[in-house]
Amino acid sequence: MTELFKANFVADLIYFRRSRLLLGFALVFLLLISLSIMPSLFAASGVQKFNILVQIVESLHFFTQIFAAALALMVVSSHLRNRSLKMVFTKPCTPALWLASAFAAAIAVILAISITVLVCSLGLSFCWHLSVKTGLLFSALDNLIASVGTLVYVALMAMLLHPAIAVIVVLVFNANTFYGAQFQMLALMRAGNSSTTLRVLERMFHYLYLIAPVFHAFEDKTSTVVSSLRVTHGEWRYLAYSLGYVLVLSAFCYCVALFALQRKRHI
Amino acid sequence: MIVTNDVHMHFRQGLWGRQVRALNGMSLQVNEGDFFALVGQNGAGKSTAMYCLLGLLRPTSGSISVMGQQPMLGSDLYRDVAYLPEEPHYHLYMTVEEAVRYYASLYGARVSSQSVSASLEQLGLAQFKTLPLSKCSKGMKQKVGIAQCLIHETRLLFLDEPTRGLDPLVVREFRETLREIHRRGATIVMNSHVLSEIEMLANRVAILEAGKVVAQDDLANLTTLNRELYTVAFEGNGTAPEYLSGAVKTGDIIRGNIPKERLFDFMELARVHDLVVHECSLRRNSLEDSFFRIIRGGESQTDGSKRTEARS
Repeated sequence: MTELFKANFVADLIYFRRSRLLLGFALVFLLLISLSIMPSLFAASGVQKFNILVQIVESLHFFTQIFAAALALMVVSSHLRNRSLKMVFTKPCTPALWLASAFAAAIAVILAISITVLVCSLGLSFCWHLSVKTGLLFSALDNLIASVGTLVYVALMAMLLHPAIAVIVVLVFNANTFYGAQFQMLALMRAGNSSTTLRVLERMFHYLYLIAPVFHAFEDKTSTVVSSLRVTHGEWRYLAYSLGYVLVLSAFCYCVALFALQRKRHI
Repeated sequence: MIVTNDVHMHFRQGLWGRQVRALNGMSLQVNEGDFFALVGQNGAGKSTAMYCLLGLLRPTSGSISVMGQQPMLGSDLYRDVAYLPEEPHYHLYMTVEEAVRYYASLYGARVSSQSVSASLEQLGLAQFKTLPLSKCSKGMKQKVGIAQCLIHETRLLFLDEPTRGLDPLVVREFRETLREIHRRGATIVMNSHVLSEIEMLANRVAILEAGKVVAQDDLANLTTLNRELYTVAFEGNGTAPEYLSGAVKTGDIIRGNIPKERLFDFMELARVHDLVVHECSLRRNSLEDSFFRIIRGGESQTDGSKRTEARS
């Protein structure tokens, strides 16, 4: 069992390392971030440097989350489309084990990137003589959890749908979309429009908001941490809640993806 | 080793498309130690049959037993099974060495570097071990698939059109490797269009037509001697008797078939005209002859089964 898991885990890491598409995507994204940040690097004051640090951390966290989605999309869809899984499942390696190792390998890469981002942000704090804030660790952990959530959701969609359609569904079918839609419905209702259709739509968006995956659970509760890099004692518990939410989401996505993987024709 | 009973496999083409019956009551039996070949026309259901035997497809109805178990994706049954697909659907991002190690380690045991190196050496892949699979020829990819069988002693090997697209030299090497694996005691199930190759390798053959086994027998029984015809080859100097059928002239030599009752006439002719006779023997039916006879003659599965039973 351990040998099988290790074999698949290593194989997936080799895949990530050799994927030119992922490498190209990472390079383009990092280049864009660098170009957008470069002018502000010449700032002199401590406050300006702090703001740059916050901006860099935010950009890199955004990159990590997008990269997590790309990893999940690639590892699932490329193996399915190349039909190479028939070489795996005609050995004593179950779909459950393969899927678990694929998830684990992608999460390991995201963990490595998150640690790198944290080390870089700590290094910049030292270089610019800024006090090291606990918010850096908090936002790194929060982003890691959010990235894992994104990863498992995209992996599930990639298992069920064509990769291009999977991306569209992930972009549309998430809590932010339905929250925005519900907000607009409520605004219209408060402006005096009280048609039945509007009320039905508002309720529908509300329930869709409740069931659609959230990329950053409790974002509204911890938004000040990102901008100030200060964490109050009570804010750490939201990290635990986010972790709990992502674990449940991961378990759900894993089970549905496994069901789909077992039903697929690997021929 | 493998027993299937009345297996049906129906596909639907698209969501509302018509139903295709890929397998239509397939029943076959593979014994331990057999080199078993599935033959049939395109679309006869050979690949579908193999996918069902491997557990990659669940049959619509009927039962399949492989080494006493029902094949399921990734089950323990596969500890003794290896499979080489028709198209090299391998992990193309890996190098030759990585792929061999990966496939061998999927059997759950630790794979030593020595065993990987030894198998690569045996198959002539040692110099290409750092080459990515995406840059390998089909023959090399097939050898990667074979290498896993050499590391992990396989009891049952499935080959789906294994020599399609390979050059004659590689086909010959490949054939020798398969014979070696078979000599070690493995049961091999292969499907192929190349009947001459099956004649060289297999000891049992099943002929599929429209998803159904229409004949299943030992190769020796399918390529029996035809006791009504003699094959003769002689230096003709322009004289060929009118009862010679299927005559082919190659250089000075004429080869053809004569009916049993005209054998002495032919001998007399040879004596009178002082013909040099190179060959005169009972005609042996090739697998190709049997295949066409069965497919065109519509020989039923029951006939084949009865014949098999009678002979066993």
